[in-house]
Amino acid sequence: MTTALVVPTTVVAALLALAGLASTVARRRIGLLHLVLAAVLEALLVVQAVVAGVRLAGDAALPETATFLGYLAGALLLPVAGVLFARTETSRWAGTVLAVPAAAVAVMVWRLLQLWEAGGG
Amino acid sequence: MAEPAGPREAPPAEGLGRVLVALYGVFALAAGSRAAVQLATRFSEAPLAYLLSALAAAVYVAAAAGLLRGGRAGRRTALVACLVELTGVLVVGVLSLADRAAFPDETVWSGFGSGYGYVPLVLPVLGLLYLRGQGRAQKSPPPKSPPKSPPPSNPPPKSSPPPP
Repeated sequence: MTTALVVPTTVVAALLALAGLASTVARRRIGLLHLVLAAVLEALLVVQAVVAGVRLAGDAALPETATFLGYLAGALLLPVAGVLFARTETSRWAGTVLAVPAAAVAVMVWRLLQLWEAGGG
Repeated sequence: MAEPAGPREAPPAEGLGRVLVALYGVFALAAGSRAAVQLATRFSEAPLAYLLSALAAAVYVAAAAGLLRGGRAGRRTALVACLVELTGVLVVGVLSLADRAAFPDETVWSGFGSGYGYVPLVLPVLGLLYLRGQGRAQKSPPPKSPPKSPPPSNPPPKSSPPPP
């Protein structure tokens, strides 16, 4: 859990949210760009989860491990759930549907970082 | 970047409803995981606040499910959930400011949802507006088409094959 990973994750999540909103404004459905961004976002989150998992299994200790793991699991689920849900929406609002979880992930990774740094990790 | 959506594919209200469902889903996750952790690890510290978190999560799930399901029952479920939610966020918001001792730990509704960008305060209002718009659309049915002539009750007799 480092800023080196949190910053790119935030950037990709913000791009995904913007792309989603843009497609709604342009009255378009979501396309390949959204799927690629969501995939990159999910990949970054998986890397983060693996890094955090390895360090937690090692000597890293957090004051609120349960909260941290809860947020981590939630963040991992959101892009996947967002894409699945947005793909069932056939109107231009699909992009906004995808933008909601993307924005949530952007916020959650910073909360995760906060929880991680509270442990001095 | 994206394939263009066909013109007038689905009414925007349905799509907007999906956006609300997504928002409610995210908040159900946020409130639910927070409540689960709080109840599991330190229930005795602030039982009221933690039970409220759990209640908030349940209300968000109900609202999302009601909106997603639609129909009369779904809309009623969502309406009740939105009203409970609005009441909750207002009452807890006032109480958390007035009596900090009862809410030592944040809930989604503390400070009118300030910990969550005030989305918990805006969300029920959006939900109620959406439900009202939907109710209006249903109350004014499209103009009745003139009654069609009843279809012939009997199928026309089979024409016998022409004689050779």
